[in-house]
Order: sequence, then C-alpha cells, then structure tokens
Amino acid sequence: MLPRFLTILSFGDFWSSVGATLAAWGLGLGIALVAAVVLGIVIGLSPFLRRATYSTTEFLRPIPSVTLIPLAVLLFGPKIESSLMLIIYASFWQIFIQVLYGVADVDQVAMQTGRSYGMGKWQRVRHVVFPTMMPYLLTGLRLAASVALILAITAQLLIGTAGLGLAISKAQSGGQYETMYALILATGLLGVVINLGARFLERRLLSWHESVRGEIAA
Amino acid sequence: MKKTLAGLGFALGLPIILVSIWWVSTVNSPNFFVPTPPELVKTFIEVWIGPALWEDVLPSVLRFLAGSAIAIVLGILLGVIVGLNRTLRDLTEPVFEFFRALPPPVLIPVLLLLFGLSNWTQIMMIVIGAIWPVLLNTIEGVRAADSVQSDTSRSYGIQGFDRVRYQILPSASPQIFTGIRQALPIGLMLMIISELFAATEGLGFQVNQFQRRFAIPEMWSGILVLGLLSILVAVLFRFVERRVLRWYHRLKDLENAA
Amino acid sequence: MQHDAEAMPLNTQSYGRTLAPEDTLLSVRGLKKVYHTDGGDIEAVRDLTFDLGKNETTCLVGPSGSGKTTLLKCIAGLLEPTSGEVVLDGKPVTGPPKKMAVVFQEYGRSLFPWLRVAENVELPLKTAGVPKAEREARVAEALEEVGLGHVPRSYPWQLSGGMQQRVAIARAIAYQPEVLLMDEPFAAVDAQTRADLEDLVRKVRKDLGISVLFVTHDIDESVYLAERVIMLSSSPTVVQEDLVVDLPAERDQLNTRSLPRFTQLRHHVYEQIQLAKKGFRPDDAVVR
Repeated sequence: MLPRFLTILSFGDFWSSVGATLAAWGLGLGIALVAAVVLGIVIGLSPFLRRATYSTTEFLRPIPSVTLIPLAVLLFGPKIESSLMLIIYASFWQIFIQVLYGVADVDQVAMQTGRSYGMGKWQRVRHVVFPTMMPYLLTGLRLAASVALILAITAQLLIGTAGLGLAISKAQSGGQYETMYALILATGLLGVVINLGARFLERRLLSWHESVRGEIAA
Repeated sequence: MKKTLAGLGFALGLPIILVSIWWVSTVNSPNFFVPTPPELVKTFIEVWIGPALWEDVLPSVLRFLAGSAIAIVLGILLGVIVGLNRTLRDLTEPVFEFFRALPPPVLIPVLLLLFGLSNWTQIMMIVIGAIWPVLLNTIEGVRAADSVQSDTSRSYGIQGFDRVRYQILPSASPQIFTGIRQALPIGLMLMIISELFAATEGLGFQVNQFQRRFAIPEMWSGILVLGLLSILVAVLFRFVERRVLRWYHRLKDLENAA
Repeated sequence: MQHDAEAMPLNTQSYGRTLAPEDTLLSVRGLKKVYHTDGGDIEAVRDLTFDLGKNETTCLVGPSGSGKTTLLKCIAGLLEPTSGEVVLDGKPVTGPPKKMAVVFQEYGRSLFPWLRVAENVELPLKTAGVPKAEREARVAEALEEVGLGHVPRSYPWQLSGGMQQRVAIARAIAYQPEVLLMDEPFAAVDAQTRADLEDLVRKVRKDLGISVLFVTHDIDESVYLAERVIMLSSSPTVVQEDLVVDLPAERDQLNTRSLPRFTQLRHHVYEQIQLAKKGFRPDDAVVR
C-alpha cells in the first residue's frame, strides 16, 4: 500500500481532490467562524437575548448536521454548496457555544472600568471581551475544524461533491482497493495535519494565557 | 406566578416567532421544498406513528445503543489500562492521534468489505468514531489521579482491581463523562451516515429513500424524528450524568460559592 | 519543689534510642534515602536508627527540609529506602504493612470526595474482606471515638477542616493498626481546632493502646503530645537528639502547658532545632 501511496502523491488529480476538500472545509469553517463570533458576542452580551434564544439553541444544537444531507442533495445536488451547508451548520454551533461561554466569563469589573474610562461599546468589546473570549474561541475552532473535515469528506462520499471522499468512493466502486486504502491514509494524515495546525495556532495565540482551556462541560 | 410566565415566555418566544414565519411564508407561496406546519405534523403522524416505529426507528436506535455501549465500555477499559501505564501512554499517543483524526465515514468501504450489508457495518462505524473521546478522556482522567489519594490507597492496602474500582475510576468519572458526552453525538451522526450508505432499513435509510422519491414532507418528517431523537439522547444523558456525578456537582457548587 | 523540677536533668541522648527486642514494636535501622535527579544525587536521609516502643507516642521534629516526610513514607512502606531497614513486629517492611495506618496532612485530598464519611471510613475494611456486620460495627465505633457519630451520611467536603481530619483519624483507627503514622496532620488547621485534635490523639492512643509516630514542626505540640521527642538534624538527616518527655500521663491543654517542666523541655527542643537549622550536626561531634 505504501508504494501506491507515494505514487498517487505524484498525480495532479490527487492534489486537486485535496484542494477541493480543503476549499470546502476552509470556506465553510470561515463563514461559520464569522457568523458564530458575531452572533455569539451580540447574544452573549445581552441577558435578554440570551434568555430568549436559550430554548431554541438547546433544541437545535443536538441535531446532527448529517440529518440535513437529504435536504442538501435536494437543494444543491453534488455541488460544493451541499458540503458548505452541512459544514457551516455544524461548525457554527461548535464555535457559537464556546463564544457564549467565553463572553459569560468576561470580568464585569473590567467592563465597568472600561466604561468609566469613556470606552465605547465597540472598544470595550475589542479590549475586554475579545481577549477573555479567545481561549474558548480557539477551543471551539479546534473542535469545529475536525467536525468540518468529517462533514466535508462525508458529503463527498455520499453526495458526490468533488474531493477526497469522492475519490475514495470511485476507487472502491472501481475495485481499486490499493488506491482506496492509500487515499484513506491520505485523509487520515490530512486530519492529523489540521488537528496539529489548530493546536499550534492555539499555543501561539494564547502564549500569554496561563492555561489553554479544555472543553467546558455543557 | 409572574416569574413562571416570564420563564415560559422566554422559552417559547423565539420558537413561536420562527414557526409563525415559516407558516406564513409557506401558506402564502407554496414551496416545493418546504411543507406547511400543519402538513408536516399530519405527515409526521401518518408516517411514523405506526409500523414504521418498529421497522425503521427501532433498528436504528438499537444499532446506535449497541455501538455507543461498545464504544463506551471498550473506551473505558482501554483507557484505564493505557492511563495507568506510562510506557503504554507514550507508545500509543501518536497512534491514537492519527486514528482519531481520521474521519470515520472514510472507512465505510473497508467496513463493507469486512461485514457486508449487515448490522455490524453500522455498529462498527459507530464504535470507530465514538470510541475516541471516551478513550482519550479516560486516559487523561486516569493519568491525573491525585497523588495523595493514590498514597492513601496504597497505605491501606487497596491494590489492583480494588484500586481501579474504588479510587481511580470514581476520581476519573467527571472526565470520563465529558468523553461520553462528546461521543454520543458522534455516534448518532455515524448511525445516520452509515444508514445513508449501507443499509436496507432504518431511520436514515428511510429519510434517504423519501428524498430520492421526492416525497418532501415525508423527508422533513424523518428529519424531525432524527432531531427529536438527538434531543432525547442529550436529555437522557444529562439526567444520568446529573445523578451519577451528583457528588461532583455539589462539590463544585461549594467551591464556586467560596 | 519548683527548684527541684528545674534542676532535674533532661533524659536525652544524641542518637536514636533503641530498645530491647521484646519492648520494640517498630524498628528503624540505618535508614538512608538518596534521590537521583538530573542535577545530581540528593541525600535526603543519611542514617536513621531508633526503636518505637509499644503504647507510646513519639514525635519527630526537625527543621524544614530535614526529610521528615521522606522518613515517614519509608516507614509507611510508600517509599523504598536506598539502604537500611524498617522492621514492624519482627517483619521487614517492603510495602505498606497491614498493621500500620497513615493520616496525611492534606485531608482534603486524602479522603475520597465521592464517598460519604461512613463509606470513607469503611473502605479499607471492605477491600480487606471484613464481613459487613463487623465493618458496620467498627465504623460506628471509630466515628464515636473521634466524636463524629452524628455525621456518617455527610460528604467530607461538607465538613470543616478539623472534622475532616477526624474522619481521616477514624478511618485509621477502624483499620485497627498497631502503629499510627501522622504526617503533620494538624498543620493546615486553626490553632483552636488543633488543640482539640491533639487531645483527641492522646485519647485515641490511650483507649486503643496503639503506638503513634507523629511528625510535626510545631515544637509545643511535640512536647505536649509525646512520651518521646526525636529531633532530626538538617539534611542529610540523622538523629540529632532523642529526648524522653517525663510529663504526667494525664495531660490537658491548660495545666500541662503551664508546668515548669513543660517549659524546660520545650526550651530544650527549641534550642536543638535552632542548632539543627544552623547546620550543627551530631556526627561531627560524637565519636561512635
């Protein structure tokens, strides 16, 4: 299998599959990130909004993104939009919940100090809320990154959008088992790289923080 | 009285607004992709209250439970063994990191080769994905056993099995439950995925069939069932965790109040 | 009278006291512990030799870093000495012996938070295979002895520090040891509670007829509690002095502590510890 693995590395097809996978993954993650951070901060800072959205959030949160696969197929077919729909839905919740926790952890005294120094809302968000929220955000991002990869591959396997998942599916139905295993290995390595990358990012950005927080119990 | 009304208002407010928007928009301009709320409820009852409950929902739920149970038991067992042994931990860490990062759906072709279209394909799919959070969290919980607790156990002659049962596992249990909490949604997700790909009956399978036949309201009703199932699992987990870890939560409350 | 008491010499010697075999419960011979670290070898304990008799309380006092905890852990079988041996009841100690119980300083971490008070006390008996009826009797008795008969169903963390340490003591005595090892057990507790707990230790020893080896840095406590005080030198540790405390057997916080003899003993111990801190070592002076 290993020689096969090294061979496919030289195929242009392989790298375009990787590229397609990463594209869907990155785009979905990015959109989810922006949406989750914005909504998370806005809702997190307002007790009213938090209470109003609590029941809805708790209801929608446990629903797995893959439940929407039939819908995605219906709406978009084997195009990148299907993947994006699944990735964004799942990643959003991961990051959103963590941002809410992060905002809840903001030190009220620091906020009041900011206000007494004449800092506007936006400035307070930038200087007080953001730093407090960062560890949580990065935890959420790391979790979302691996979920997003799973969904990207799944969408490719099941819906047929372009990427490594599709390549694996083709190899399997074509009976090319060595290629299939090699591709599976490649996918695993991709997952490891993403995971390591996320941890690296966490360490760099939080070098000022005394501990990188683990996932907070729900 | 006022407080409960307010609480109820908050809980139902946003959902009611969302449902109303949905109702209004679909009644006025019938959409192929989205049924109206009354249609959805009617279809839901027609399709799922009846034989479908035994023929599709039950097998799916049973497979999910089997897969989760195996993942949890194996995860804890292996986690304890690896967690207690420094050499094992160092050896297995890179291996675990690799397999954990591998998206389980990728192994569907392998599983199909091994087990064909039997229940085992689905169950193993669930196990392969759901075991990692349990395993890794158990290792961590076991590794972090308090040194004074360990000294106490040793000085009172509490060794081996007894030590694991009476000291190591209880002290690791909050961490283990975190692992289980992460594992359950993964298991649910993999149950659905495995049925979309490699099944002849089941919840996920049916929803897929509906979609292929363009039976839209039925498809949505299936999605609704899946959603309700997920919520049920989450609620049940929280209930169990609250009871088993009651000592832990009360201890934390005390610490936080201080 | 007072004059006589002050003039009475102290019963002390500058090496560990050994006893006749039939009087000896626990025997420590030539105990040595060297820690191997990346920065080199650290000789924590050089040579400790002493015997513990039956039915007596012995206190170990020494300056910080004098290897008190290392010594206790070696005796308890939790740590393996580099050389030398510990013998309990004629049998060498290679692991935690059945006839020995330990009370640790950090009661919060030693008691299991997922078990209630009675369950904590019961656990060592359960794993040792003691039948249920006998277990329940021993637990109830132990809790009564430490004055906690009324809180068996509470969790340890619901109790105050002093009460938690009582639970740890109850657990130790329910185990029915011959020797009770206590590692600075009252260091983390307030002065008033400490006084009560000290009296509890004396009461327990008297009621149960066990021997207690009590490690502390509190000089007053050591003289109040003990029949014998062993003073340790600074690291690498040897016995600095072995002092017999000839105060009356019946002691109480108020009267005993105001006895002239108490002051004299206490003064002596303090002096010795100060010498130890300054690095004065008996093996330099004494030719053996």
